[in-house]
Amino acid sequence: MAAVQDGQMELDAEKETKPEILSDGTSNLSGNTASGTLSSSPLTAAPAGGAPKMEDQQTLIAVLQFLKRNKLTDSVEILRREAGLGEDQEDSQATDGSGGGKGDVDGGDANSLLSRVSITSAAAPQSMCDSPLMFMLSAAGADDQPDVSVVLSAYSQQGDPSLYQVYYSGLKNFIESVLDCHRAELSQLFYPLFVHMYLELVYNNHENEAKAFFEKFSGDQECYYQDDLRVLCGLTKKEHLKGNEVLLDFRTSRFVLRISRDSYQLLKRHLQERHNNQIWNIIQEHLYIDIFDGMPRSKSQIDSMSGSLAGEGKREVNKAKVFHGLLKEPEIEVPLDDEDDEAENEEGKPKKKKTKKDSLGSKSKKQDPNAPQQNRIPLPELKDSDKLDKIMYMKESTKRIRLGPENLPSICFYTFLNAYQGLTAVDFTDDSSLLAGGFADSTVRVWSVTPKKLRKVKSAADLNMIDKESDDVLERIMDEKTASESKILYGHSGPVYGVSFSPDRNYLLSSSEDGTVRLWSLLTFTCLVGYKGHNYPVWDTQFSPFGYYFVSGGHDRVARLWATDHYQPLRIFAGHLADVTCTRFHPNSNYVATGSTDRTIRLWDVLNGNCVRIFTGHKGPIHSLAFSPNGKFLASGSTDGRVLLWDIGHGLMIGELKGHTDTIYSLKFSRDGEILASGSMDNTVRLWNSMKAFDEVETDDFTATTGHIHLPDNSQELLLGTYHSKSTPVTHLHFTRRNLLLAAGAYNSQ
Amino acid sequence: MASPKTVPKDAQVMMQILKDMGITEYEPRVINQMLEFTYRYITTIIEDAKIYSTHAKKSTVDADDIRLAIQCRVDQSFISPPPRDFLLDIARQKNQTPLPLIKPYTGPRLPPDRYCLTAPNYRLKSLQKKVSSSAGRITVPRLSVGAVSSRPSTPTLGTPSVQTVGTKVGTPVSLTGQRFTVQIPSSQAASVKSGHEYCLKSHGNLFGKMCTNPAATPTTPTVQNVLINPSLIGSKNILITTNMVSQNSSGDSTSLKRKHEDEDDYDAL
Repeated sequence: MAAVQDGQMELDAEKETKPEILSDGTSNLSGNTASGTLSSSPLTAAPAGGAPKMEDQQTLIAVLQFLKRNKLTDSVEILRREAGLGEDQEDSQATDGSGGGKGDVDGGDANSLLSRVSITSAAAPQSMCDSPLMFMLSAAGADDQPDVSVVLSAYSQQGDPSLYQVYYSGLKNFIESVLDCHRAELSQLFYPLFVHMYLELVYNNHENEAKAFFEKFSGDQECYYQDDLRVLCGLTKKEHLKGNEVLLDFRTSRFVLRISRDSYQLLKRHLQERHNNQIWNIIQEHLYIDIFDGMPRSKSQIDSMSGSLAGEGKREVNKAKVFHGLLKEPEIEVPLDDEDDEAENEEGKPKKKKTKKDSLGSKSKKQDPNAPQQNRIPLPELKDSDKLDKIMYMKESTKRIRLGPENLPSICFYTFLNAYQGLTAVDFTDDSSLLAGGFADSTVRVWSVTPKKLRKVKSAADLNMIDKESDDVLERIMDEKTASESKILYGHSGPVYGVSFSPDRNYLLSSSEDGTVRLWSLLTFTCLVGYKGHNYPVWDTQFSPFGYYFVSGGHDRVARLWATDHYQPLRIFAGHLADVTCTRFHPNSNYVATGSTDRTIRLWDVLNGNCVRIFTGHKGPIHSLAFSPNGKFLASGSTDGRVLLWDIGHGLMIGELKGHTDTIYSLKFSRDGEILASGSMDNTVRLWNSMKAFDEVETDDFTATTGHIHLPDNSQELLLGTYHSKSTPVTHLHFTRRNLLLAAGAYNSQ
Repeated sequence: MASPKTVPKDAQVMMQILKDMGITEYEPRVINQMLEFTYRYITTIIEDAKIYSTHAKKSTVDADDIRLAIQCRVDQSFISPPPRDFLLDIARQKNQTPLPLIKPYTGPRLPPDRYCLTAPNYRLKSLQKKVSSSAGRITVPRLSVGAVSSRPSTPTLGTPSVQTVGTKVGTPVSLTGQRFTVQIPSSQAASVKSGHEYCLKSHGNLFGKMCTNPAATPTTPTVQNVLINPSLIGSKNILITTNMVSQNSSGDSTSLKRKHEDEDDYDAL
């Protein structure tokens, strides 16, 4: 039942789990096959319509059962007729719901099902099906939950509460007694089982047993789950669960474990031998075991991939094709006379002429197979000002310094003084001419980094009077009287957590705790639009590399894709279990990466909103993401102080950079991708040799099918330098077009 | 922080709660804020429960009344984000529509005027002029590399113009060691305080709060407070601070003892 409430992906998972468990086990297959086939028949309906229909069915059936219990037989008949529910269908649905709990031969199991429910139940199987629903419905009555589907996902009790400790210790003893190679894999079970059993006890109001259970076994869990356990510790009553949507999501989603076939067989055999295999019931209902053939994984391999709130990613999730190549640059003619001013030395000139021709397009005329079509998603066309910008960009890139292990970038640090921990977001424009800061006092301030001051456009009356045909009309429209070093933008009513410049430097976005994302004009320095959609703090926002689109992520656990000329989002990326803290566009603007507090990173397709990659492995909320300039790799940093490197095409982790001791809030690749800079709350900027990290990947023989990675512990070799600031955490990093590294942070006097 | 024996019992309980939830670093005033919140929340709930119990003609307030009171308040004050299945559902609906084509040559791409804020019916009346005229200070916004008193050229594209680095590449020098002292002459603060009628007529929320006490005029005692909260990123901060403090004199005590930076979201306006 739990799985039904989720989206299509989970439905498929449910379909797959049952056949998988069916094919392996020697247990009574009749119950399972019945529920398996019956559950698959509604599922074979059209994908889009299938899931909502299931939910409605469930709700109707729940109501039907409720009416039956209250002996409103006439209403029962009417409802059954009108809703078109057959007698057997509702029974089978009920069986499906408790099928997870009843998947076994044991009569003892059936007895426990009967005994646990205090509501009147005849010995007939009919009432056994009813009872779990009844139990849930009575809970519904007490809570007056408007959302029945949430209620229907409630825990049905799996046995005597006082015996939970016995079950858990039994499992613990078993796992400790197996062979070493299997022990690491089976130990993955401890955490999800512990949490689910604890939540079950709490939800069914067995507070004392829950507390005792927690005290006895919480110390055994892995160290990286400690934060979750602390939250759990504070939850002792059912009412506490209601407000905590992260845990609600955890309950309704299935924790994914990847276990090799041998270990799985061992576990299954053990659990089915026993008389009271409540644990098996819980596993079937709340866990998804992704079985693979091959060697069992070692502890270190498992540790590197685990840590997220939903377990690991299923194999098939990371198999979708991702177009991670870059879009072709448009052909732009570069006027020759501009070059003469720049060129000082002779060898500069011919070099520039050469690069003019072939730096625009890729070297090969063929379409990169990994690159998306130009028109896969609609992109704004290039205006004349954009073409001028591109020309400037090319000129700058010819002067770019080639970085490498022997040629490290210089770092220029912009320290915000007197910010008093109020600096919450920073961004630079791509040409490094403007700097924006978002502050906790709800202001956004823009500074000019160059000597050129910031000016506002003249008022309409004044604009009428200027000569529109003159060459320097773009300077004439600016009002000299308003020239200043910095401008302050007022409008938000809460701390500003994300700022982002548009690529054409005309707009600035800011996202705030007040739930809105605001678009500001950098010509008039006023607010143009407030995009309301998240009703909760928006933690991050970013413009697309081509402008027009932007993405925002917030506390409501979704990321939204907007276009500047639509007041509602175009896409909603839902799937994370906890807040979305970081959102980044891929360089080709076709994909969005989101990092979340549930310790996973998801890659979403802009075209259809699907989640195409799930990366797990971080042990803390993710606060920074960076795509490599060639679009193939993603780097992520979190509160655990590690930077993880991911190969997007294969969907695998390819590197781990240890060194920082505190949360990493900023990550940036150099312009050609040779160096990765990371800035952290521990007041340091570290430079890593990303070229080497990615090269080692290319030559390796991927075990892409099983997804096993064996990460070399080479963080020390890859670290090129550590640069300390006195007392300033690094909030933002930016490589200028010539590969100078700019860093920004607020001086912290404590 | 006061020594344990002088800390009142409820503050000790609060400290213990914070420790249990894993919060180890916090400013001492957080305890006071938490206690105030607790007091206000509990009082509201109990008052509501009393109303419900009298309505039900009961002689005493019992657990059911409290439960009902909590339930009603939860929907008002503590709204939690929508559940996951709901989000997945609306996401599916939203993601089915194809991305709209982009019309070329349309100028600034903004939503229809109804949804934009391009026609404000108010104007911010900030007194920047008065501030800047006196001593021409508040140079802090100019956060360039280098000392505040001198005005070095900021790094232009590609050439870090700060002294030590120059155009030399390969020496990974971080320039964070340079400290700047921002002088805050007291005369400046005195001049800043003058004429803080920062009125914002028809804007909501934070600024609206400022307007509720139009009679508040800054008086000399506020000067000291300006110095205490020298968030001199811009004059705006000083304006807010002084206004809040001046409101303090009118007796509205609960929310104004805090600095403006402390976002008391629960203090609904």
